[in-house]
Amino acid sequence: MEEFHPHNDEMIFNADEAHNIVKECIESVLGKADYNQNKVNQWTAAIVEQSLTHLVKLGKTYKYIVTCAVMQRSGAGLHTASSCFWDTTTDGTCTVRWENRTMNCIVNVFAVAIIL
Amino acid sequence: CPPASFLVDEVSSIIKEAIEGAIGGNAYQHSKVNQWTTSVVEQTLSQLTRLGKPFKYIVTCVIMQKNGAGLHTASSCFWDNSSDGTCTVRWENKTMYCIVSAFGLAL
Repeated sequence: MEEFHPHNDEMIFNADEAHNIVKECIESVLGKADYNQNKVNQWTAAIVEQSLTHLVKLGKTYKYIVTCAVMQRSGAGLHTASSCFWDTTTDGTCTVRWENRTMNCIVNVFAVAIIL
Repeated sequence: CPPASFLVDEVSSIIKEAIEGAIGGNAYQHSKVNQWTTSVVEQTLSQLTRLGKPFKYIVTCVIMQKNGAGLHTASSCFWDNSSDGTCTVRWENKTMYCIVSAFGLAL
């Protein structure tokens, strides 16, 4: 059975666009704050939800996964890795690293094209 | 042919084996952590694809040294609730935390 894959020039993940969206969300949530154990949960939730909302508003036929890690700066080592099994022509990822005096924040966006 | 589903228990076992295989019995070592995180995600991903289901997969791994610092993670997904799924495994030993998340998106 033949498979027909329509080649759509718009189906390329724009990592720069996603990077800017995420950076703005992080700034607006963490901007001037210091690490606060009581607030971190609502911060990480706000960052992923706002980022996701803005990405979806781009109106592209993609599924999105946004992850966020916020860590107190104390000298501990933190290492992250990710591996993806997908269509490299249409799918993509973008990682934003942000920090201030008291915390590090790493946000990953994974965009997976929806095949219609 | 019934649509394949993301089975959390199945994926959870795969992740646990990958973590144990890569870092089980080891103490945090700055010089090795990069190859450990790589090994965990690659091992997990290859076992997932071997399931032969029509899914795209994303696997992430975080390893953090235990020294009292707080670490918080969150994720949010825009997908098809009926077919897509995720599984997160938290593992620790005396010197480090390891958090692995796998996301499966149906084709």
